[in-house]
Amino acid sequence: MRSSTVGWLFLAPTLVILFIFGVLPFLYVLVIGFTQWNSFAADPTMQYNGVENFRRLMFDDQFLYSLWLTLKFGFFAVASQILLGYLLAQLFMRDFPGKGFFRTVHTLPLVIAPIAVGATWRLLLVPGLGPVPYYLNQWFGYELNISRYIDQAFVATVVMDIWHWTPLVTLTLLAALASLPKEPFEQAQIDGANRFQIFWHVTLPLLKPAILATVFIRLMDALRTVDEVWMLTGGGPGAATRYIGLHIWRVVFPKTDYGYGAAMSLITLYLTIVMCWLLYAGLVARRDLKRAE
Amino acid sequence: MADLSELPPEPRRGFLPIHTNGFDRVFIAVVLFVAIHLFWMRFLEASVPLSVGTVLSVIVGAVVIARG
Repeated sequence: MRSSTVGWLFLAPTLVILFIFGVLPFLYVLVIGFTQWNSFAADPTMQYNGVENFRRLMFDDQFLYSLWLTLKFGFFAVASQILLGYLLAQLFMRDFPGKGFFRTVHTLPLVIAPIAVGATWRLLLVPGLGPVPYYLNQWFGYELNISRYIDQAFVATVVMDIWHWTPLVTLTLLAALASLPKEPFEQAQIDGANRFQIFWHVTLPLLKPAILATVFIRLMDALRTVDEVWMLTGGGPGAATRYIGLHIWRVVFPKTDYGYGAAMSLITLYLTIVMCWLLYAGLVARRDLKRAE
Repeated sequence: MADLSELPPEPRRGFLPIHTNGFDRVFIAVVLFVAIHLFWMRFLEASVPLSVGTVLSVIVGAVVIARG
């Protein structure tokens, strides 16, 4: 049997599963995105309406606001996670008493379901019941009310996401740090480089692929956050934390506007892919090109 | 010895600021196609019909695929 045939046979189960659970649903959403389909409308059947859903999207202030909020949320959450995750990974590279215990505890948020994370943070932060607003008020006279102040609600969702997902970044970067070769660092020390120079010219370039992969994963996750935020703030106050996933959910389920919701999902997918590709092209492909030149 | 026909296509350098293969250029063409249409619907459709945008994005896509 030819090696390429054997290769395709090994790949076949994955390709079949990918086609059934990835490609087919995408094609279905793509078709629905070009239709008017609302089960509670005067005509509940699926009607082709061209690019009307996308035209509507471009003038939908609520959608554009949700998109902006989601990008803001993704930027602050992912940037903070990468920074904190890197610092924690550097900490775990050293030996200190209780390191094993601390590492286990630090990893625990990863195994908690997002809906449970949202519920826990709600119990911590909800005004009148949660201990955090109570003690902040008692000790510092600070009024924390995520049901009332939009900035506090936004920051609360970002902090919750950081708490939940920083361990993933730490583990990824820890694995990358542990696998780095020692020679470049020894060479830099012999050449008299200080700690910042070693970090900037040796550690960071060697870690770049791992950091980039982690940013991709976290960015994609952050842009589709729904359940945690739904539990913590319900998208409020007003629409202050109605990120794009929540907004799509509201359009598709309570409003049953399937065609419009599908169009929103497609645009969100499009933006996620474009952002990841731009990151890749800007940080990796251009560097490879410069190196080749 | 590897069959040369099975090797992936050699990335090349066109007017785009990165090395690209055929798949990359088709991907960029599709991304631009969608972006031009969304931009057109938001800002230009009131004065210029969307079909002009479609023609423009097809031309842009063809140029990217051929020379990118």
